[in-house]
Amino acid sequence: MATRKLLFVVRALPYKTEASRLGLTHAISSQSVEIYLKDGDLVEASIAFIGDGVMNCLKNQQAMKHYGLTSIEGHMKNTLLLDMKVMVCKEDLDKFGIKEDALLMDAEDIGGETNTQIVPYSEIQKEMESVDHLLFC
Amino acid sequence: MKLGVIMSDYRTGEDVLKRLSAEKLGIIFVGNGVYHAATKEAGKTSSILEKTGNLYVLTEDLESRGFTSANLDSRVKAVTYSDVVDLIFNDYEKIVWL
Repeated sequence: MATRKLLFVVRALPYKTEASRLGLTHAISSQSVEIYLKDGDLVEASIAFIGDGVMNCLKNQQAMKHYGLTSIEGHMKNTLLLDMKVMVCKEDLDKFGIKEDALLMDAEDIGGETNTQIVPYSEIQKEMESVDHLLFC
Repeated sequence: MKLGVIMSDYRTGEDVLKRLSAEKLGIIFVGNGVYHAATKEAGKTSSILEKTGNLYVLTEDLESRGFTSANLDSRVKAVTYSDVVDLIFNDYEKIVWL
């Protein structure tokens, strides 16, 4: 009986490449691998947005309207719906002058109860040290 | 020459763009290039905005990333995909993509 902890660290800008979307979708899909694990074994994923990656967290993304694609915002909502820990680096938000009201902070409209956390980089560093696997994207 | 530059990235291409010169230079921000037009880093706007007075950003790519024209630097004009086609065919002799 063990819990394997994963941290996906998203540092890529959204849309031009699939990197940030893949980070989110892999984190989400990690919640379904338990059917392949032994009874009692768990996988626990969390996500951190750092550097340019904080741009993925802006709300009101209109990717479906313009690209016919599900937005990164939609994937973020799904991670919150699954009660994953979602962290956004405060220093990087400050660097870009992005305020909390510009960010996707919850998924209440789809029944989510977990909120996005704006945290200092030091907290993300601690999370990196505490997990079993670290995945940068 | 009249040169149009389609700038599609945020972290690359700036070195090349700074060396380009033309009688008339236009920069069209698309894709992740829109961050040059809509964000500031450490309170500073992108230095690319100093390069020319002919600055455009593709509205579709801007809005897809959660921005509106209200986020734009005042020097940049928001244009539609059709406007970009018109710019390419009517305003510039050559187009490069960075």
